[in-house]
Amino acid sequence: MSGDHPLLVAQGISKHFGGVAALDDVSLEVRPGEVHCIAGENGSGKSTLIKIISGVVTPDAGVIEVGCETYRHLTPRQAIGAGIEVIFQDFSLFPNLTVAENIAVSSLIAHGRRTVRPPELRRIARAVIERIGVDLDLDARVEDLSVADRQLTAICRALAQDARIIFMDEPTTALTWREVRALFQIVASLRESGVALVFVSHKIEEVLRISQRITVLRNGKVVVSGEAAEFDRPALIRAMTGRMLSERRPSDTNWREMPPILEVQGLGLGGYFEGVTFDVRPGEVLGVTGLLGSGRTEIAEALFGVRPADTGTVRVNGQPVVVNSVRDAVRAGFGYVPADRLSEGLFLDQSIARNVIAGSLDLLVGRLNLLRQSVADRVAQTTLTDLRVKMSSSRAPVRSLSGGNQQRVVLAKWLARSPRILILNSPTVGVDVGSKHEILEMLRAKSREGMGIIVISDDVPELLEVCHRVLVVRRGRIVAELTGDGLTEKTILDELAA
Amino acid sequence: MSTVPSAARRLRISRLRGSNNEGVLVVAIAVLATVVGLVSPSFWSVATLLNVGTNSLENAVFAMAVLIVMVSGGIDVSFMAIGIFAGYSVIVLGNATGIAADSAWLGFMIAIAIGLALGLLNAFAIAVLRLPTLIATLGTQTIIRGVMLAFIGRKVIPDYPPGLESLSTTYLFTDYAAIATRLNVMIVPSIVICIVVSLMLRYTLVGRGIFAIGGDAESARRAGFPVTRLRVLIYLMAGALAATAGMMHVTQVRLANPYELVGGELDVIAAVVLGGASIFGGKGSVSGTVLGVVLIALINYSLILLGVPGAWQRAAVGALLLIGVSAQALSAAGRHRRGTIVQAEEAAA
Amino acid sequence: MTDPSAVIQRLLPERSLLRLAAFAIVVLVVFSLMSKPFFTVINFQSMGFQVAEVGLLSLAVMLTMLTGGIDLSIVSIASVAALVTAQLFAATGAAETTAMTPVLTAVFILVGMLAGTLTGLVNGLLITRLRVTPILATLGTMQLINGLMVAWTNGRAIYGMPDVFLAIGTGTVLLAPIAIVVLMAAALLTAAFMNRTGTGLRLKLVGANPTAARYSGLDNGRVLMLTYLASAFLASLAGIIIASRAASASADYGTSYVLVAIVICMLAGVNPNGGYATVTGVVIAAFTLQMVASGLNQIGWNTFHYQIVQGVLLIAVIGLNTFSEQGLLSGLLGRLRRRRPVGTRPAKAEPGP
Repeated sequence: MSGDHPLLVAQGISKHFGGVAALDDVSLEVRPGEVHCIAGENGSGKSTLIKIISGVVTPDAGVIEVGCETYRHLTPRQAIGAGIEVIFQDFSLFPNLTVAENIAVSSLIAHGRRTVRPPELRRIARAVIERIGVDLDLDARVEDLSVADRQLTAICRALAQDARIIFMDEPTTALTWREVRALFQIVASLRESGVALVFVSHKIEEVLRISQRITVLRNGKVVVSGEAAEFDRPALIRAMTGRMLSERRPSDTNWREMPPILEVQGLGLGGYFEGVTFDVRPGEVLGVTGLLGSGRTEIAEALFGVRPADTGTVRVNGQPVVVNSVRDAVRAGFGYVPADRLSEGLFLDQSIARNVIAGSLDLLVGRLNLLRQSVADRVAQTTLTDLRVKMSSSRAPVRSLSGGNQQRVVLAKWLARSPRILILNSPTVGVDVGSKHEILEMLRAKSREGMGIIVISDDVPELLEVCHRVLVVRRGRIVAELTGDGLTEKTILDELAA
Repeated sequence: MSTVPSAARRLRISRLRGSNNEGVLVVAIAVLATVVGLVSPSFWSVATLLNVGTNSLENAVFAMAVLIVMVSGGIDVSFMAIGIFAGYSVIVLGNATGIAADSAWLGFMIAIAIGLALGLLNAFAIAVLRLPTLIATLGTQTIIRGVMLAFIGRKVIPDYPPGLESLSTTYLFTDYAAIATRLNVMIVPSIVICIVVSLMLRYTLVGRGIFAIGGDAESARRAGFPVTRLRVLIYLMAGALAATAGMMHVTQVRLANPYELVGGELDVIAAVVLGGASIFGGKGSVSGTVLGVVLIALINYSLILLGVPGAWQRAAVGALLLIGVSAQALSAAGRHRRGTIVQAEEAAA
Repeated sequence: MTDPSAVIQRLLPERSLLRLAAFAIVVLVVFSLMSKPFFTVINFQSMGFQVAEVGLLSLAVMLTMLTGGIDLSIVSIASVAALVTAQLFAATGAAETTAMTPVLTAVFILVGMLAGTLTGLVNGLLITRLRVTPILATLGTMQLINGLMVAWTNGRAIYGMPDVFLAIGTGTVLLAPIAIVVLMAAALLTAAFMNRTGTGLRLKLVGANPTAARYSGLDNGRVLMLTYLASAFLASLAGIIIASRAASASADYGTSYVLVAIVICMLAGVNPNGGYATVTGVVIAAFTLQMVASGLNQIGWNTFHYQIVQGVLLIAVIGLNTFSEQGLLSGLLGRLRRRRPVGTRPAKAEPGP
C-alpha cells in the first residue's frame, strides 16, 4: 500500500444555504487503505460534505482532486466514475428485487447495458460476496433480509462498482453490537485491498474503535484532524461539542424504599419473549438492553399495547391493568417514545403544538367532543417551555426543528399528560451530544418527581449515565439484572455477547 | 425447532401459489370451469374457448399497459380513453382521407402514433409536473375523451376502410357448431405483445428499472437509473399499448362507437390486480395478468351462458376485485408478521 | 432565526385560499363581461341549484382525502340513497299529497340516507379491517354497488315523488335555493367537526401519519371508519338532492361527478396525501367550477368542451401547487421578505397561543 499518495483531496470547500454557512473552508484527505472517520454532532456539516463529494450538492468554493483529475464540482456520474460510493443511512436498496439484482444493477447501468441476463447478475454478485467473504442468499428479496444483511448488500453493491472510497453515513445506527463487530471485520479486510473507508458518525465509541484517522467537524469547520491514536474519549467529546461533559453516574438511592409503580409478572408473547418479570420504583430509571431482535423492543411495545402480550400480568401502583391496545396503555398511565422518531413519533408537517397535544386529545375535549383550544394551547406552551424546545413558534411544523428538538417534542407529547410510566426506546439516536445530555438530565429530573422511567437502549455509555439498574434481554428472556457496582460497561457488554 | 417443518410447508405452499398469484388463479379458473360446466354442459365446447379468446385478446393488451404503469408504482385510468380515441380517430381519418385504406398495418401505425402522443400527455403530467397518478390520469382521461367527442366526432361509424374491414373478418379459427363462433387472427399479435412485454420487464434494463422505480424511486435515482426518462417511457409505452388495444377493439366490433370502452376500466384493472400486481409498485407479472384477464373473461362469458343479466357482470367484477385485494392485503399482513418472527428466530439462533 | 421554509409552510394554506379566491373573482368578472345573462339573479339561482350536489360530494371526498384516502364510490352511494327513497315512495304510492306526506317524506329520506350511509360501512370495513387501499376498496365497491343497483332497477329510472320532496331540489327560501341552504348547513357542520372537535383533529393526525397516530394512542380504525361513514352520509345527502332536482332516481348517475369532486378538492388546495383540507376552500372551489360550467354553457360551449376544461384545470392546478412547493413562488416570496426592513412586525404572521 502506498500510504502517501492520497485517493481524494478536498480543499477549501465552502457551502452556504441561505445566509448560513453549512461548510466553511473545509479540507479533507483520504488515503488508500485507511479508515477515516468524519465525526461531529448533528448539524456540524458532515452530511453536506458527503453530498458534495458524491456530487449531489455543488459547493460554492473549493476543489476536489480524485485520481489525477481536479474538479470544481463533481456530478454524481463523475463521482461514481472516480470510484466514490456513498452508502446512505437508508441503504437505497430495492426491497422488491433480489440481492443479486441489487448488487449488480448499478454496474450494469454504469456500463451502459441494455439487457439483463440473470446468470451474469449472479456472477457479478457472487464475485463481490466472495471477495469480502460474507454469506448472503443471492436469490432472497431484500425486503426479507435483516438490517445487517441489507447493509452488507449495500456494501457489496458499492464494491461491484469498483469503489475505491466508500462513504458510510452513520453505518451503525440500526445495527446491534455483534453486527457492528462483523462490519468492522469486513472493513478491516477491505482496507487490506486498498479500498478507503470514510465513516461519518457521531458515536464516539465506534469512531475511536475503528478509525486510523479522525477529522472532527463543528459548525461547518474542521476543528481538528489527525491520527486516531492522538485522541481519547474526553478529547474527542471536547472537539465535537466544544465543551467538557462530566461523565456522571446517577447516585440517588432513595427510590429503593418506595413501593413499585410498575410490576410486570411473567409477561410473554408467542415467538418474541416469555417470562418477563420486573418492577420499576418511583424515582428510578430502569435500563433495558439487548441485541436487535432480542425482544427488547417487543417487550416495550407489548407494555404499550402496540403488540399486546398474551400471557402475564401488569400492575400499575398495585392495581392490575389490562392492556390490549395503545389506548388501554395510555389510559393506564403509560407513555412511549418510539425508536423511529420520524415515522412513529411525529406528524412532521403538522404544527409543534398539535404534535404535543396529539397524545392527550381525550383530556382536552369538553361537551360535544369539542376541543378546548385555549386549554390545549396552554398545555402545549407550558410543556414546550419546560422542555426548552428551541422554535420560532409553536405553530411552525415539526419538520423545521433539529433532531434534538424533534425528540423533545415527542417527549413533550407524553409529558403533557403526565404519565405514571414513561418508556423510551433509543431516546438519543440521531440527537446531538449537547441535546442528548439535556434530555437524559430531564429524564433524571422526572424520575425524581416520581415518574417511573424505562430506557431501552444499546448505547452503553448512555445506560451508564442515566440508569440505576439495567436489565439485559437475550432471546426473549431477561438474563441479567445489573445494579450498583455490578453495573459497568464491561458487565453489560459481557452479558450482551454471552 | 417446531417451526421448521411448518416453515418448509409454507415455502412449498407459497411456491405453489406462484410469486404473483398464478397458482391461485389457475385453481380459480379450474373451479369456475368445473362449476359452470356442471350447471351448463354447453360450456364444454370450442365456442367457449373462442369467446374467451376474443374477449381476452384486446383486454390482455390493455392489461399490459396497466401492468407496466402499476409495476412502476402508479395507477392509470386513462388507458380506455386513449384506446377509443386512437381507434375511433383512425376510422374517422381513414374514411375522410383514404389514408390507410388498403393496409390495416398503416391503420395500426397511426393508432400507435396517436397513443404515443396521448401517452406523452400523461408523461408530462406525471413525470414532469409530478402529479399523483390516479388524479393525473383521471384528468387526462377527461381531456382525451372530451377532445374526441368535441372535435373528432360523436357518430357511430359502421363503414371501415377496406384494409381494416378485411382484417376484422380474418379469422384464425371458426367453430360452426350451433352458431358460428370465430376467433380473430389478432389473437396472434396479442400473444406476441404479451411475450414481448414479459421479456422487456424481465430481461432489459428498462424493465428492471420499472421494477426498481416501483420498489423505491429515490434508490433508483441513486443507483443511476434515469428515473424521469424512464417514467416518460413508461407512459409512452402504456399509451402505445392502449392505442393498439383500442384499435383491436374497434376492428373486432366493426362499429366505431366513441362512447364505448371508457367506464370499463375496472375489468382490466381488476385483472391486473388479481394477477398479483401491487398498487404500491414493484410487483407484478405478465403471466399473472394474462390469467387475470382470462378469469374475468371467463366469468363474464359464464354469466351470459347462465342467463344472468348484464348488470350482474359489473357487480361480479367489483366483488372479484374486492376479494382479490382483500386476500392480498391479508396475506401481506401475514407475511409481515412472519418476517419479524423469522428475524427474531435468527437472532436467537 | 426563523427557518424560511417554516414561514412558507405556515402561510401555505392561507395563500392557496387567496389564490383560489382570486381565481373565483377572475372567473366571475370574465364571464360577466362575456355573457349578459351571467350576472343575474336567475343565473345565480340556477347555479345554486346545481352546485349543492357537487359541493356535498366534494365535501365527502375532502374528508377521505384528509385522512390520506379517497372515496371513488360516492356516486354509487348517492344512487343507493336516492333509489331507496324513491322505491319507498313508489312502493307505498305516497306520491299523492296527503296530510301524512311531509312526515312520510322525512321518514323515507332518513331511511334512504341510512341505507346510503350503511353502504359506506362496507368501505369502512374493507379499509379498516382488511386493510385494503382506499383507492382499490372504493373502486371495487363503486362497481359492485352500481352493478347491484342496476340489477335491482333493471336499469330503469324511478319516478313518482311528492312535491314536498321535489321542493328540496327546486324550491327557494328568500331567493336562495333550499339545496344551497342544505349545502351551507352541511359545510358549516363539517367545518365545525373538522376544526373544533377532538375527532376532527384525529382525522387530520391519522391522515398526516397513521403510524405516529397509532403510537399516540389514537384508534385509527375507528377514525377511518367514521371518515368513510361521514363521506357516505354526505354522498347520500347529495343523492337525495339529485333525485329531488331530477324528479327521478336511477342507478345511472354519471361517474363524471367523481372527477368534478376531485377537481374541486384540488382547486381548494386539499392535500391528497392527507393532513390538510379546508371546507371554505372546497365551497369556494365548488362555486367557482359551477360558474365555469354555467359561463361556458352561455357562451355556447358544450359539455364535452367543459370536460376538457375540467381536466386541464385539474392538471394545471396541481401542477401549479407542485411548482410553488418546489420553490418557484417561495423564492419570490423570499425576495419580497428580504426587501422589508428588518425588525418590522416579524411576529405578526403567528398569532401566538
